[in-house]
Amino acid sequence: MKSLRFLLSVVLISISTVAMAQSNPPKAQTDAERSFEKLKTLAGTWKGQITTDPREPSMDNLTIWLSLRVTSKGNALVHEMKEPGTPDDPSKDDPITMLYLDGDRVLLTHYCDAGNRPRMVGKISPDGKTVEFEFLDVAGSTQYGHMHHAVFTFIDANHHTEDWTFMLKGDKMVHAHMDLQRATQQQAAAR
Amino acid sequence: MDLEWNDGQPIYRQLRDRVVEMILDRVLQEGDPLPSVRNVSAEYRVNPLTILKAYQQLVDEDLVEKRRGLGMFVKTGARDLLLKGERQKFLSQQWPRIHATIQRLGLTPEELLASEDEADDGPDAAKKER
Repeated sequence: MKSLRFLLSVVLISISTVAMAQSNPPKAQTDAERSFEKLKTLAGTWKGQITTDPREPSMDNLTIWLSLRVTSKGNALVHEMKEPGTPDDPSKDDPITMLYLDGDRVLLTHYCDAGNRPRMVGKISPDGKTVEFEFLDVAGSTQYGHMHHAVFTFIDANHHTEDWTFMLKGDKMVHAHMDLQRATQQQAAAR
Repeated sequence: MDLEWNDGQPIYRQLRDRVVEMILDRVLQEGDPLPSVRNVSAEYRVNPLTILKAYQQLVDEDLVEKRRGLGMFVKTGARDLLLKGERQKFLSQQWPRIHATIQRLGLTPEELLASEDEADDGPDAAKKER
């Protein structure tokens, strides 16, 4: 009799667990969460070429370095355009960009040497290969222009591209395209 | 290019101003290419995007032209355009304050010219003393 009671309670617990699981299915990832998780895969040091349209020949073979790191218990991604190993120097213009989730949006805040902080809202493409950030708003003066648009395109684990568009006063755009590859620790340390 | 950054303006504006000075001082002649982005970036550790911003600003001001596949060059007439603008700026912004100071101090044209001569002789006189 005791074993029958035990068996019955096990069956009841199992049924209720299944029922609870069915009533609380795993929460589907929002587009913003999917974008942010995808962006976080870029954590690391990157180097590559920067190009413009029309081409500026004096930029040929110019290597640009940047790094991304996940911080704040996974709640923020820091993007820094700076060569690894260079000391912090407040007089230099090493722009920093923070990427983070804000409710159902993935946002980017760019800390510009022009003294302002534009925010952009990101949208992932249906194929998940691109996150495009559109201008949302800006804090601070736009007297000297502001960063206006950014696109991250994922190629594979070791390659991605970034497109950054700066809007000068008078709505003139400066566009830069970066072809980036993941740098090895040795390459980064050799800088 | 001689560069020393100050906190007053973004670096791209300071870079733009330095190129303007170079055109006015004829260090950069009309038709000359702008300093290479690669060199400026390496020498002064400036983000290439910042240099592009400065150069694009000069294009927008009609001082520099982009030649497809060749780069950016000082436009013909750039110096005259700059001089016109700088003279206008001096007359409208700086001269009224200077003129008011001259009036307040009661300085005569002769005294001003004499002080200019002294200033011109200054470095030479100092050299002679050494």
